[in-house]
Amino acid sequence: MPITKPLALAALATALALGVASAAEINVLNWKGYGTDEPWAIEAFEAATGHTVVNDYFNSEQEMLTKLRTNPGLYDVVMINAAFTGQAIDEGLIQPIDASRISNVADLTPEMAGSPLLNRDGKVFGVPWTWGLTSIAVNDKAFETTPDSIEVMWDEAHKGRVTLRDDALEAVQFGAIATGQNINDIQDLEAVKEKLSSLLPQIRAFWSSENDWNQMVASGQIDVGTYWSGSASRARTAFDLPVTFVVPKEGAVGWLDGLSIAAGSKNPDGAHAFIDWMIDPDFYVEWDTKVGAPVSANAKAVAALPEEAFNRVVMGDPVVASRIQFQEPVSDADREAYLQLWQELKVAAP
Amino acid sequence: MTPAARVLALAGPLFLGLLLGFLYLPIAVMALMSFNASPFYTLPIRWSFDWYLAAAGNRQLLDATWNSVSIALASTAISTLLGTMAALALHRHSFRGKRLLQALLFPPIAIPWLITGTAMLVFFFGTGIGRGLHAILLGHVALSIPYVVIVVSARLATFPPDLEEAARSLGASPWQVARRVTLPWIAPGVVAGALFAFAVSFDQFVVSYFLATPGQSTLPVEIYAAIRKGFTPEINAVSTVVIAVSMSLMLLASRHFRFGGER
Amino acid sequence: MAGATTRSGMVAALPLLAPAYLWLAVAVFLPLAAMVFFSFMTDLPVAGRTWSFTLSNYETALGGELYRTLLLRSLRLGLEVTAWCLLIGFPAALVLAKRLRGRTREAVFLLVILPFWSNGLVRVFSWAMVLREGGIVDAALEALLPFEVDVDLIYSYPAIVIGLVHSYVPYMVLTCYLTLQAIDDSLIEAARSLGASRLTILRRILVPLSMPGIVAGSVLIFVPVVGSFMEPRLLGGRSGTFLGTVIEDQFVAVFNWPLGAALSFVLLAVVLVVLAVSAPVLRRAT
Repeated sequence: MPITKPLALAALATALALGVASAAEINVLNWKGYGTDEPWAIEAFEAATGHTVVNDYFNSEQEMLTKLRTNPGLYDVVMINAAFTGQAIDEGLIQPIDASRISNVADLTPEMAGSPLLNRDGKVFGVPWTWGLTSIAVNDKAFETTPDSIEVMWDEAHKGRVTLRDDALEAVQFGAIATGQNINDIQDLEAVKEKLSSLLPQIRAFWSSENDWNQMVASGQIDVGTYWSGSASRARTAFDLPVTFVVPKEGAVGWLDGLSIAAGSKNPDGAHAFIDWMIDPDFYVEWDTKVGAPVSANAKAVAALPEEAFNRVVMGDPVVASRIQFQEPVSDADREAYLQLWQELKVAAP
Repeated sequence: MTPAARVLALAGPLFLGLLLGFLYLPIAVMALMSFNASPFYTLPIRWSFDWYLAAAGNRQLLDATWNSVSIALASTAISTLLGTMAALALHRHSFRGKRLLQALLFPPIAIPWLITGTAMLVFFFGTGIGRGLHAILLGHVALSIPYVVIVVSARLATFPPDLEEAARSLGASPWQVARRVTLPWIAPGVVAGALFAFAVSFDQFVVSYFLATPGQSTLPVEIYAAIRKGFTPEINAVSTVVIAVSMSLMLLASRHFRFGGER
Repeated sequence: MAGATTRSGMVAALPLLAPAYLWLAVAVFLPLAAMVFFSFMTDLPVAGRTWSFTLSNYETALGGELYRTLLLRSLRLGLEVTAWCLLIGFPAALVLAKRLRGRTREAVFLLVILPFWSNGLVRVFSWAMVLREGGIVDAALEALLPFEVDVDLIYSYPAIVIGLVHSYVPYMVLTCYLTLQAIDDSLIEAARSLGASRLTILRRILVPLSMPGIVAGSVLIFVPVVGSFMEPRLLGGRSGTFLGTVIEDQFVAVFNWPLGAALSFVLLAVVLVVLAVSAPVLRRAT
């Protein structure tokens, strides 16, 4: 049609003109607000190296993989939960990293740097960046003394004031810990289901983002709920909320996040430099004290934190360490089974 | 007027007023919270103008807002034109397969945008269309067309069939018929369709989310990303400015144009 | 559709239809066709995965107790929201079309549409603020009423309905307005002078003649509400699980696009059947 054509062409031309990328760009794929997009850090990195950093975000691991699959060559650095790194290697989405070009690698905690999840055939596919826990956090205003058992979630006194993340895997692994099972090898799924089923009447709402959680605490709607250690620390540090993270005696789920270089990266030099910057003690100390972060995989970086820092005192405590069960990759079939279980529970919820 | 009639006469505008109150309640809250220093919407309000200053200094947010406005305007223009043409054709002509064409308008509305967005991402990737503002525009126009067709068709259904015939028999050329008879009649429908199309594009986050690239995103995409981590009333500040500006523009326009189709 | 002025058929219609449908084909139909294809696969054709054709996704989608419950729940939500929108939107459109005049009408007409342009997510967050315990509704009632009330509507089914009605009622006002405004006032005058009561005028003139608008509005509300997932998730709390949220999970939480796609096409089919069944009923009602 005579009128639409020029219009559409003009719009397309503008769009294309805007879409030209510069050569020294580093495209980073990560959760929003998770370290790589801190303005002060990017500014310092850009001033020091001359590369510019552009962040893009995902909201779930599946989405991260989809974005890598459908945009080959667009991304340089991608943050991947170690439980998913294997899948990314299998699909050829990430490339080996030249660890000799990253000076801070020498200071990484050896068990993490050598983790079989991040290494394959003697090649490094992921540099461990941070680790943390998925456990429970409490609203200090609702407790005289901080509880030390996961059973507080089932306590009648907090009925209707409990929150849980709306995520099948997290819910099932939480149920596994509450029933004293191994999260990576759940033998009695029925017991998990029953335990979670008795938890649902306690729930006020499910949370899906940090912001949900913080808002519910700020408005006094919840007493206790599952939370991530890095987020709890951010809630205290950056938002001044009365939140205490608890590692209960029953145990907690641990996760490891690594930084990888996407296959077909156009700026591998920049990618290596950026990863180095991200695991550097200077960056980490500022990140944790200013904003709040999970625990660095760099032992030197953790040691450089102030003495009383949560990530040093609590997360460094051997008792806590003995309670952690680290997440391993979950098969598609298990994932599907967990989702089915979780959906059934939610549909049956009163 | 009987007392009963008087009550009824008052009831109408009162009802409309209540509806407007209902519609604007959350928007008023949104605007109010943009002046609240607390990032978690806590009461009582501590007044502050900081979020506006923060928003004014947020390049990414401003760029995204600008992208949203331009894409919504372009998408509205294209989809209103294409949709109105299609509605006219469906109204005037009968042919085999017409019902199918009408039914085909529903998938873009009925299939959750998440699936349509994923499908677009995969298809655009496979065919080389790629991601970016051009892909977002392509998607938005497609999602808006069904709304325009359905709304304009509803208006066309009230069109007296013999009106065009009468004009023609009085010697009007086809162009005159279109300009003087058909277009004025369907004008309110076209305006409403355009308003729908604008809303579909301006508030569209799922499809844009999949098709945006870093540095080329739209306001809802930025809002969605912001909400996942540390939502700030900066978003409220930008939204309040957007609403205030569009409200002023519309009220100004309503003094000069007649959208409602006065007869 | 009645009122065809020419009978020249497809050939005459083609130039007007082609641009819109070509655009739809490239941007929606072909991508969705790929999804239809996926819905018959055991797994996605990405590196390192094997796949074959299967009907099992549709068996799961149609056979499972879980999905049937959710489908019914989503349909009920769609009907309820549509009904509320009709109850609120039609009278509002009537007042707008037949009582207000001139600039007031233009202004109110635009004011009804404007909330549409505010961001859906921000709106939902604002509703949470309004509806929660200690929120605005609660505080207002506390101040107005002499006795103790506790309004805590957030995270419940009514909260979802309120949020959705708020988002969609402008659709109904708009489409009803378009057809009501087209009704000649002299027709109503004539009926009145013949002694018809208000109710008769409403039943025999206004509703039948504005039926195209009522139908269009209902379709534009019912269809997307049945598949909605954002409002249920954010406002519904424990009771926020619907077919839309479950489809979202299949895409976002697990990488099962085949089942997610199959569920969406089952949803689409059911929606089309509901529309097809209700069309003659509505027509007869006029």
